[in-house]
Amino acid sequence: MENFEPVIVAFCCHYCAYTAADMAGSQRLPYPPNVKIVQIPCSGKIDALHIVTAFEKGADGVYVAGCLEGDCHFKNGNTRAARRIEFVKKYLEEIGIESERLEMVNVSAGMGHRFAQVATEITDKIRKLGPSPIRTALAQ
Amino acid sequence: MQNSNTIETQNNKVLVVGGGLGGIRTALDLAEADKDVVLVDKDFTVGGLMTQLDRTFPTNNCDLCTIAPHLSESNRQEHIELMTMTSVDNVTGEKGNFSVTLITKPRYINLEKCTACGECLKQFPECVRFNPGLDHRAPTCMRYPQATPQAFSIDLAKCTDVQALVKVCPAGAINPDDMPIKRELKCASIVLSPGADLFDPSALDYLGYAKFPDVVTSLEYERILSASGPTAGKLLCPSNGRQPKKIAWIQCIGSRGLQKGAGAYCSNACCMFALKEAIITKERFQEDIETTIFYMDMRTFGKDYELYLNRAKDDYGVRFLRSRPHSILHHENEENLTLTYTQDDSTKQFEEKFDMVVLSTGFKTSEDTRALATKIGLQLNDDFFPVTDGFNPVATTKPGIYVAGTFQGPKDIPDTMVQASAAACMAGADLPFFAKKQAAEKEEERARDISLEEPKVGVFICDCGENIGGVINVEDLVEDAAKLPYVAVAKAEGHGCSRISMQNIRQTIEEEQLNRVVIGGCSPRTHLTKFQDLLGKAGLNKYLVEIANIRDQATWVHFGMPGEATTKAKELIKMAVGSAVKAQPLADQSLPMNKNVLVVGGGVTGMTAALRLADQGFQIYLAERSDKLGGLANKLIKTLEGDDVQAFVADLIAKVQNNKKIQVFTRALIVDHSGMPGMFKTGMQSGPQMFYRQIDHGVTILATGALSNRPSQYLLDQSPAVRTQLETQKFVYDNPDAVKKWENVVMIQCVGSRTPENPNCSRICCQNAIKNALAILAINPEARVFVLYRDMRTYGFQEEYYQKARSQGVLFVRYDLDTPPKVQAAGDQVDVTFHDAILGMEITVTADNLSLSTGMIADNDATEELAMVFKLPRTVDGYFLEDHVKLRPVDMSVPGFFVAGTAHSPKLIRESITQANAVAARAQTMLARDSINLGAASAKVDGNLCAACLICVRACPFDVPFINADGYSEIDPAKCHGCGICVSECPAKAIQLMQFEDDRILAKVEQLFERINA
Repeated sequence: MENFEPVIVAFCCHYCAYTAADMAGSQRLPYPPNVKIVQIPCSGKIDALHIVTAFEKGADGVYVAGCLEGDCHFKNGNTRAARRIEFVKKYLEEIGIESERLEMVNVSAGMGHRFAQVATEITDKIRKLGPSPIRTALAQ
Repeated sequence: MQNSNTIETQNNKVLVVGGGLGGIRTALDLAEADKDVVLVDKDFTVGGLMTQLDRTFPTNNCDLCTIAPHLSESNRQEHIELMTMTSVDNVTGEKGNFSVTLITKPRYINLEKCTACGECLKQFPECVRFNPGLDHRAPTCMRYPQATPQAFSIDLAKCTDVQALVKVCPAGAINPDDMPIKRELKCASIVLSPGADLFDPSALDYLGYAKFPDVVTSLEYERILSASGPTAGKLLCPSNGRQPKKIAWIQCIGSRGLQKGAGAYCSNACCMFALKEAIITKERFQEDIETTIFYMDMRTFGKDYELYLNRAKDDYGVRFLRSRPHSILHHENEENLTLTYTQDDSTKQFEEKFDMVVLSTGFKTSEDTRALATKIGLQLNDDFFPVTDGFNPVATTKPGIYVAGTFQGPKDIPDTMVQASAAACMAGADLPFFAKKQAAEKEEERARDISLEEPKVGVFICDCGENIGGVINVEDLVEDAAKLPYVAVAKAEGHGCSRISMQNIRQTIEEEQLNRVVIGGCSPRTHLTKFQDLLGKAGLNKYLVEIANIRDQATWVHFGMPGEATTKAKELIKMAVGSAVKAQPLADQSLPMNKNVLVVGGGVTGMTAALRLADQGFQIYLAERSDKLGGLANKLIKTLEGDDVQAFVADLIAKVQNNKKIQVFTRALIVDHSGMPGMFKTGMQSGPQMFYRQIDHGVTILATGALSNRPSQYLLDQSPAVRTQLETQKFVYDNPDAVKKWENVVMIQCVGSRTPENPNCSRICCQNAIKNALAILAINPEARVFVLYRDMRTYGFQEEYYQKARSQGVLFVRYDLDTPPKVQAAGDQVDVTFHDAILGMEITVTADNLSLSTGMIADNDATEELAMVFKLPRTVDGYFLEDHVKLRPVDMSVPGFFVAGTAHSPKLIRESITQANAVAARAQTMLARDSINLGAASAKVDGNLCAACLICVRACPFDVPFINADGYSEIDPAKCHGCGICVSECPAKAIQLMQFEDDRILAKVEQLFERINA
């Protein structure tokens, strides 16, 4: 696929990652427009179903962004999310989607820089991986 | 009679001077307790010093994120009138009836019109200046992105072409003819929290601060680290922009009387400040950077601060040098700076090169505040801080005028927050007492029933000045949005949050009978409440609005790619519409409030809190475990400052016992607890017969205290010459004749504290040792007193007593944890052997008295039991854990619970009293309500789908779900925190989180791809 532009869904927790995205905004720190943010109250709210639906509809990459470890507003939502991500990664491999397309990241509310950096890195990585098998299939 | 539930009189307000963190806390506490406040700040936005910090200790969190919710416009209470750029000119009158002259400087911007679009800043970016000197300020300026008010300010003196500036503003808000305004204000009481200045080291030429750009103050270093600072968060040497490899911090600049012009006191927060900066620096650059702190005593005496110090040493490899720096030099042809210093155990001078040197500058009161304080008749101490009551540090010498924060004395943020709440309590109590008027209760807005209607969405898209409109074509977005399913109206709305646009939107909702609203604009974090309120006014349930954040997530971050930004903005709007269509009206959970208060613990803290609340008309149940009131204070005689504790406690007990609103239970044991915030039921057994009684209450205050520690060390309880400091005080007081015969007295600090078993500092012992040493010398000036210490932590004004003890000949000898003193019995005396670094040899002193500074430990058995009954968190060492160490230091994570005094952490009696006043203020913010609004975001179980598998019960971080009598999981909406963890764990998908229902999240994902795939 020429000029492949991946579509990446970022599920961001309200207290940290979503705020960090706002920080990136107010500091005008550019990151690729490929990243689309969906707000969730806590990264622990991320459902395997949400992730899988995103891939099913054609996402090339998904990441879940929560608070730094130990900083979760709801005590341990982010560590739960991380475990769930590990589980979904295995499942993705089973159905033939590279598990690298799914990531868990941690950013604190003040880390606008890191938010932009992570968004850029993940977009680069997914761009190298190419379109997801589902998206390729959908396009045909 | 507007905005208030009390009868309007002229002086039913509290004036709060200073809009820093402390002033804001005071104002919010009062406002939430339904009391009217006028908050004035001389600056053009509120926020004070904290907004300049990069992060705060000990959580190393970003400040802006923690402070922003306190400041954002929508959160501001209807009881607060905010006046920026305003100073107090004069105060006359007395408590209950002050008359204040306020002067407001011209802002040259009309706040009603300014939308904070930033056009003026963009056009005039040159010569931006920030307070600490490293950053710059434009002729028009907003200090930080989340500033309140959300508007700019103009420095007209700097502007060369005023007319050009006026034209730049699309809202026409710039008014060069603005004039100063004088206003007379009547108020009942005044809280002064104007903050303090930082010491200016420019005059100390040997430190080279004025000469060498790489010598910076700690606040300037903070600005360099800060993402919103001059280097956008890159750590660079100011001289030449290279990344430093070695950084030194020099402590006590402007404190402890060390330099010319320095205060005699310890500035209290600088040790933690330096630790934080060193840790953050290490965190970011790890092995690439060396950090060294030059210090005399590390004063990490706050709650769990010692652990922070240990982390800096052990985990981050910050280097600590106990030393006296001599000078900072810059040799020609060298990039870096040369620091010369001596170490405390030798006279040799050392030299070391550093790329940057950070001066940890202390606090001092500003000339302005000194002048104001003097003008309004406050007495100042020798250090130019206000003289305050010995047992109530927020009360000044003038009734009705209170102080809080760094103006009261040097301190860190948690202590500032506690004092701010305490000041709110005291100042609020001076207001005339009026019964709440029932009729004035806010009229419940009637929301339209939309259950039978098809979704009818209105999309309103902001251009936010240039912020959105400058990058993408808003009309293009409007056209696109109009074609989306269910969208009835799509409009461009300029500045959606401006008053005019809000009216337009409201009108459109009403005329078109819309039942869903989507705003394409900025962040819901800052503006959702505003639009929710608008929906309420327009007759819609407030949860039927959704914001697409096309500014922060598209135009601001993709400004260089207008095409992509436009596409993304369209996607974001489509996602929001998809989600809004699925939105359902939700009801806020609310509960009736029970206005009784249970205070657990009848020491000074518990009694003080009980009295304050009883005076406000609330019924108090005071439960004390022992058979009498007074707690640990019964064993104290005098404070360091010489105030009589016994008389104070006796008076307090009498007041409590004579107060009709306080019911005291002694020998009381809490045995069971149920209910929810606002309507608790607690069972206790009390009295000699242990009668059971259940109490209904809305608020619980924990003031259970701590124990004085008694480790079996250094022959304590084996030799008659060995006493704890507490026993020493009593002995000296009771037996002056015996004390007169003492030749040698030895005191050992940190006995049972700062050890691997009990790593924290007990905070009170250093001043205790000084107090007893001075008392002994007063009786027997010939006695030789040795204090064997690790770090002398006489923080704040205590430092002056430390200096006094030194000048009276008390010998302070340092020891290490590895080489503690040795104690051997010698008849009725003891031989104490220790190493003297200056003499370089072991010394043995035969002591007539050995006082052990054993400090405090948590009352582990008691706190463990209470924590179990009430389901409350504790620290590792057994103290109750507050909700947020900085921002909510006396609130617990469970709503309706508060903690104060030594149950929170070791502290002095006056500090405990301050916390007691603070909890009283915090409790009033709940008790003022007739019901408690818990929001709508709670998890809800569908009983038909639930298999009672217990997964939610185990997953909930707050232990909320339980299996009810019908055999399925039930989640109490009043206890649910709304994280949604149970929802994602539930295998049967039987749980939904309101406001974040799965179908709404999925709708966003589906809409996104529908658009892309189309």
